Amino acid sequence: MLNQDPLKYRELAAKAVEDKQLHRALAKMRDKVGRNAVNLYNQLSPGHDPRQDAKAVRRKIVDNLDVVLETLSANIRARGGHVHLAETGEDAVEYCLGVARRFEVSRVVKGKSMLSEEIHLNDALEAAGIETVETDLGEYIVQLKGEAPSHIIAPAIHYTREQVGELFAEKLDQPYTDDPPTLTAMARKALREKMLTADMGISGGNTACAETGHVTIVSNEGNIRMATTMPRVHVVLLGIEKIAATLEDHDILLRMLTRAAAGQKISTYVSYVGGPRLPDEPDGPEEFHLVLVDNGRSRILADPDFREVLHCVRCGGCLNVCPVYMAIGGHSYGSPYCGPIGAVFTPLTRGINTCHHLCQGETLCGACKQVCPVDNDLPRMLSLLRSKLADGDRRWDVRRQSLPTKLVFGAWSVIMRHRRMYDALSVMARFGQRLLPRKNGWIRRLPGPLGGWTRGRDFPPLAQESFADRWARRDKTGRGA
Amino acid sequence: MSRIIERVRQALNVQANDGRDRLVFAKSEEFINCAHATVTDEERGGWMESIRREAQALNLQVHECPDLDACGEAIAALARERDPEWGTLKRIVRWSDPLLDELGLEGRLGEDIPVTTVPMADSFGESERAEFRREVIASYIGITTADYLLADTASLVLLGGRGRARSVSLVPSIHVAVVPGSRMLGSYRQMLSRLNGQTLPSNVNIITGPSKTADIEATLVHGAHGPREMHLFVVAS
Ligand code: SF4
Repeated sequence: MLNQDPLKYRELAAKAVEDKQLHRALAKMRDKVGRNAVNLYNQLSPGHDPRQDAKAVRRKIVDNLDVVLETLSANIRARGGHVHLAETGEDAVEYCLGVARRFEVSRVVKGKSMLSEEIHLNDALEAAGIETVETDLGEYIVQLKGEAPSHIIAPAIHYTREQVGELFAEKLDQPYTDDPPTLTAMARKALREKMLTADMGISGGNTACAETGHVTIVSNEGNIRMATTMPRVHVVLLGIEKIAATLEDHDILLRMLTRAAAGQKISTYVSYVGGPRLPDEPDGPEEFHLVLVDNGRSRILADPDFREVLHCVRCGGCLNVCPVYMAIGGHSYGSPYCGPIGAVFTPLTRGINTCHHLCQGETLCGACKQVCPVDNDLPRMLSLLRSKLADGDRRWDVRRQSLPTKLVFGAWSVIMRHRRMYDALSVMARFGQRLLPRKNGWIRRLPGPLGGWTRGRDFPPLAQESFADRWARRDKTGRGA
Repeated sequence: MSRIIERVRQALNVQANDGRDRLVFAKSEEFINCAHATVTDEERGGWMESIRREAQALNLQVHECPDLDACGEAIAALARERDPEWGTLKRIVRWSDPLLDELGLEGRLGEDIPVTTVPMADSFGESERAEFRREVIASYIGITTADYLLADTASLVLLGGRGRARSVSLVPSIHVAVVPGSRMLGSYRQMLSRLNGQTLPSNVNIITGPSKTADIEATLVHGAHGPREMHLFVVAS
């Protein structure tokens, strides 16, 4: 799949910053959804922050994940479903292919599953000769385009209606229009056929209920219900952390999720799917498979500093308020998890050194923490990742990212602690800076290894007289200098 | 025991379940008790108002009927008025439920618009299922009832099971739901509290309005992949 490489962050981000059309498209999301979410939290119970309740529930579950996983697996099996715990992405993909082979599947319809992007399931299915169709309108658009989603819940948000119109005109052989209702109707027709004839449905899940043995899936379009009702076999992919223990947990979690995700009190469809059809039901899948995927999550779980990131309910709320996401779009992050949550989660699962740009690109402004329905402290975790990059870390196999940076800061700290050295150096610098190129009074380029700092910004010159000198002068005259 | 669970235990630094399940699956008193919270007539009146208000934003059409007879007549009129989205034949599929039997739709619509009831049997063979599937796909209206109607969001709660096929509320272009007013509950939380402790069916759907999407420029459009039109008939008695 295109745009799936976090190594290209700088290059992609630089391009996206210039992309006016992208910014226009993203602004719509921000204006329509971002603000709504916060208003809706406040309506839940005035004076009380419901995010803290949701956070407590998520913490309870993640801190007791073994118990919850065991109970869920046992209850799903008791309901006639199959459960597979997959250690890696490849393991999960192999399992899905195995089920597809057994049912001689030739077409799969899928519903929004970030996890399947994480493990590159579509590529594997297509390579096995199985037609794989995304059914969520946004995902269908990006799939027709041969791209990856650019937002957790609004995968095609980076397109304008004109671009979708051109795409449909070309791929669906339809007259051009940029009218969203007409475009939606075109997709409705094209996808209905696929959904009614597929042999296998693959979906993600928003959570599960361990106690009752159900997977809980929300959607507005109804595509997920189609994909999980009409085909002969339904496979659910779920990260091991995305579970709830009880129906009571569902109350706060689902209410917060839909508010944060789409500014809605509740999604159009909330489905509790608990296994295959029973003998006395004339419809529903014959087989039900739940694949619980670890793929690096238990490693995060083992670190108390980062465990909190597993509380995430994947609402996408932090994207909508993030100034960096708004400037560079989802594709720059090179991973299905973009925005602030991606900047923490992706380095932890794909390597902190490999993905260092992701956590270094964010601004630490704190907006993501404020909007998060489970109050995830992403800024704290971003800082922590950066400090590991600066100092190196054995537990996470982090190589110190830049020795020169470390040396410069080390030297700076020595200078700051020795007054005479500081004074001598600032006198030298004040003379030296006359040789540097300027623009509007600011220094355009710093010399030597410091040059990196001025590649994207200017540097303020040192004042001709230091503060200490001014202060000393003031003392003598008794007036401000 | 699975390798993953073992890894999770190592990560959490715990040995075994050691009684933590009591904590994990504990429920608050308030949650358990809210299942049967008593409501005054006045509150109920407020609920109906809330449903009307929420429904408006959802594009969910609410009809209040004095009895099932009036309701049956109104649904028959709706069926005559609407045209099928796919194909030209008008067919209706409905859940098998005593409440829906009383609407007398079969008599009212006669041979022009055949109404199929979800078949009831202890088990279904492949061909019977295929037959039913064709029936649902060919229908332009699907009629169900609902177990609960939630006041704060105007949501319908559909418990699946015998005679209550999942596709009836999903595949036809128009979903019609008939609910006695007595099945109103205050909130999603209260509904969960009612279901708490029961063995749930293999499929529960909470439906709030017709299918919709906002995937193109965050513009709201109704009728994505599920029903594009939805009617809720609340029956007084
Ligand atoms: S970190 Fe919070 S806001 Fe971001 S996707 Fe996860 S739950 Fe939503």
